[in-house]
Amino acid sequence: MFKRGVIVAGACLLVAMGGVGLAQARDYISIVGSSTVYPFATVVAEKFGRISSFKTPAIEATGSGGGLKLFCGGVGVQYPDITNSSRRIKASEVKNCNDNGVKQIVEIKIGYDGIVLANSKKTVPLNISRKELFLALAKNIPDPKGSEMVIPNPYKTWHDINPALPDNAIEVLGPPPTSGTRDAFMELVMEDGGKEFPWIKALGKKDKNAFKQICHSMREDGAFIEAGENDNLIVQKLEVNPKAFGIFGFSYLDQNSDKLQGTLVDGEEPTFEAIADGKYPVSRPLFFYVKKAHVGMIPGIKEFLNEFTSEKAWGDEGYLTDKGLIPMPKAERVKFRNDAGSLNNLSL
Amino acid sequence: MSDIDMDKTNKTIDTVKRGLARRYAAERRFRLFGLIAIVISLSFLVLLFGTVISKGYSAFQQTFVQLEVTFDRAMIDRDNPANSDFGGLVKAAMGREFPEVSGRKDKRKLNGLVSTGAVYQLQDMVSTDPGLIGTTNLVWVPADDDVDMLMKGHAKRTGAESDRRLDDQQLAWIGKWEQEGKIRKQFNRAFFTSGDSREPELAGIWGAFVGTILTLALTLALSFPIGISASIYLEEFAPRNRFVDLVEVNINNLAAVPSIVFGLLGLAVFINFFHLPRSSPLVGGLVLTLMTLPTIIIASRASLQSVPPSIREAALGIGASKMQMVNHHVLPLALPGMLTGTIIGMARALGETAPLLMIGMVAFIVDIPDSFVTPATALPVQIFLWADSPERAFVERTSAAILVLLAFLVVMNSLAVILRNRFERRW
Amino acid sequence: MRPVKKYGSEHRGTVGVITSENPRMTCRNVNVYYGDKHAILDVSIDIGRNEVIAMIGPSGCGKSTFLRCLNRMNDTIDSCRVTGEIFLDDQNIYDKKIDVVPLRAQVGMVFQKPNPFPKSIYDNVAYGPKIHGLVQNKVEQDEVVETSLKKAGLWEEVKDRLAHPGTGLSGGQQQRLCIARTIAVNPEVILMDEPCSALDPIATAKIEELIDELRAHYTIAIVTHSMQQAARVSQRTAYFHLGDLIEVGETKQIFTNPSHRLTEDYITGRFG
Repeated sequence: MFKRGVIVAGACLLVAMGGVGLAQARDYISIVGSSTVYPFATVVAEKFGRISSFKTPAIEATGSGGGLKLFCGGVGVQYPDITNSSRRIKASEVKNCNDNGVKQIVEIKIGYDGIVLANSKKTVPLNISRKELFLALAKNIPDPKGSEMVIPNPYKTWHDINPALPDNAIEVLGPPPTSGTRDAFMELVMEDGGKEFPWIKALGKKDKNAFKQICHSMREDGAFIEAGENDNLIVQKLEVNPKAFGIFGFSYLDQNSDKLQGTLVDGEEPTFEAIADGKYPVSRPLFFYVKKAHVGMIPGIKEFLNEFTSEKAWGDEGYLTDKGLIPMPKAERVKFRNDAGSLNNLSL
Repeated sequence: MSDIDMDKTNKTIDTVKRGLARRYAAERRFRLFGLIAIVISLSFLVLLFGTVISKGYSAFQQTFVQLEVTFDRAMIDRDNPANSDFGGLVKAAMGREFPEVSGRKDKRKLNGLVSTGAVYQLQDMVSTDPGLIGTTNLVWVPADDDVDMLMKGHAKRTGAESDRRLDDQQLAWIGKWEQEGKIRKQFNRAFFTSGDSREPELAGIWGAFVGTILTLALTLALSFPIGISASIYLEEFAPRNRFVDLVEVNINNLAAVPSIVFGLLGLAVFINFFHLPRSSPLVGGLVLTLMTLPTIIIASRASLQSVPPSIREAALGIGASKMQMVNHHVLPLALPGMLTGTIIGMARALGETAPLLMIGMVAFIVDIPDSFVTPATALPVQIFLWADSPERAFVERTSAAILVLLAFLVVMNSLAVILRNRFERRW
Repeated sequence: MRPVKKYGSEHRGTVGVITSENPRMTCRNVNVYYGDKHAILDVSIDIGRNEVIAMIGPSGCGKSTFLRCLNRMNDTIDSCRVTGEIFLDDQNIYDKKIDVVPLRAQVGMVFQKPNPFPKSIYDNVAYGPKIHGLVQNKVEQDEVVETSLKKAGLWEEVKDRLAHPGTGLSGGQQQRLCIARTIAVNPEVILMDEPCSALDPIATAKIEELIDELRAHYTIAIVTHSMQQAARVSQRTAYFHLGDLIEVGETKQIFTNPSHRLTEDYITGRFG
């Protein structure tokens, strides 16, 4: 019994070592990165795997930052070929890539994603400005008396901020700091909302850290609740508690349109059309980045790019729009399809 | 016996009797608490199973729609089926079904009622039987997940149009199908035979299941012999000194280390240093081996310690060497306990997602893994990924996957009990 | 470690004749330590060929510890250390070159509690010859099993159920099975550590009878709690007291006319 176990273990190790040899060649595309782009990239990958003769790419949701870190690790089969990102690559990340030998990167913008504030359909929709959202959710807010000081957020109900808003306690469920959605919300809502105060706007130019300190600190007294990365959980909680609001990507609102309604931000309802033509203010572009050195080394990258940038995928009526992606204008699509076709190098 | 002695005896008995009621009451109380504890844990279990089963059972069925498909010669490339327009075949069939529908937008809405999987199904049919080309057949194709949810009663048919995933027009089309008996629910084979998909109606657990089997097989094949050898060495052969004590303390500590740490270790050692392929069951198995080893070693040592010393003395006294003593007498007696420890370790490994996250096994993988180095995922990971998907139809599939995981666990544990009973010496 | 306390020579001398005319084992100046504890103090004694020597004494006197020195069973206890010399015929068994495995085939042991292996009766007896390579084939093995069981007086009782588990026998039968297991490897000396303490009087009588028969072929050293048993089965008796070997002599002489006061006190039941 015992001896047999040893033999089996030895055999397995041998098989494993044999596998190492095989691992030197990879025949599928490895994609990492943003969990916001994940639902779109996976749809394209699945289609690509089914209709082409190539294997289906493997896709991991590591977050935008985590994905770029893996992507920039170097050139070779053990590093991913493509990384998804819900924000543009930073100069520091490009430098990191270059330092590790990843010199040529192709940037493809795939469309837009709206971030929505939504609540249960059982209550009336809210119409709120970004300034009011900032006042509702920031840990410290400018002194209402007008001095250039911050005070701990005193507001308990929406009514306290604006008499036109309902007299309900402020209760917002949102993503944790590791999420790209949170990053985008900070930038597009909290920072822009804060900038409505002239002295904070001036501070933003003078002292970036102090500015971020004010705009990026969320309330910790229960008005803002970090609900984890699982957006479905937020949807469920909103159903149970009609007075609460949730922050998540547009696709979740789209899929749950029978239960949830989007809050109007600066008077704009978060609809497909409003996000597509840029009227809805809280939207961000989505990207993916391709390692040029891997094209030709890993089979199918060019074909995958071709599928992703085709009109039937990301066009106005493409299958990605069914999944909630908001397409770019036609001209932009043509530009990025050309970039993908000729593998143009990224320029910041 | 004198009167005084009698008196004393009576007094003792009286005292004992007085205390008796209290002693029995304490026992009854304890029994009651025990019973309450059991009832509470059972009801939680029933609640858990009830929720999972009531949510998940519907995923074992899937809505199918009957289409009259004409395998048009003009649209099929006999030599290269991948080049054929099977989407066109489906659209044509839908068009014949509802000839009154015109206009781009309406047609899009109509075609959205059947799954994109219909296209792959027709492609498969033609590639297995090219004789179909040129004929017209009745084919049951999977319906879209929104239709599926509607048929299963998870989505409502009434209320404002904007509140629903399907509008009035689509409901009318489905109503026509229902009247003609062209829409029905049947067993969801795809759930058990296909890999992951972003379309709920096409998504299956087979890929994750195979990934789990490969990963666990490697884990078992490595951790069982290594763990048992280590425990035997530590228990029977290792000298008692500081170094061995240190090893012992470390093993006990490792058993309590959060599993994510093993994932980080796996990333650093197996992927970054040895360059083993990311997302592969090979790396997953190695990481889970590291994780389960301490559990197996601790359990195995405990069961070695429980072998009576008289058996060891008997073997040594007759002139058996230490190795013979262990192999012939101690190991057979300790094996059932070792198996139990191994199963506990394996069950823990089966439910892990955290260490797999770091080594890339938490990923969207469609193809069924066919070796230890192809990318794979595992059952708990699949549950996690589906739970996070926006499509409503994944809710029931998540519960169904949990059911499969539970079934797997039950099978594994029963196997362990059978094995243990076979090895157990009953004398 | 603390320095070991030295005893004066006046205390040392064991009363009686420690030597044997025809010795099989010769023990000289044997000391046993458990860590800091000095358990056996400078014991010297001969064990004669084909004799039964009984070791008696109150609990904790070291008689079992001394017995376990004779086949180096004490090696299995990590903290145990033995000094002095023990010869089996002409060989010092504590010599570095000596391998304990063949030694234990030469000096077999029967334990206090019957401890048959959780295997069949047949396998219990056949185990020793098998591992030592004493039998070449099944026929020889069957023969060894049969003769051993016959010598142990168990054959008639178990010959129809050799495949049954050894642990299913009664206590006395189990102990005889253990004896059969020991003699199956044909040892020169058999050590018995209170072999009857867990048995009822009838089983005890059977074992005692057996010991008497075995004397013809083997040298037997038996540790016992029962003075009657020592008197019944042995030719020589050694009396241990707190790690000291107090007195050695002919069994008859020890029980009728002990020389040492401690022996006398023990024999007459003043303590023990």
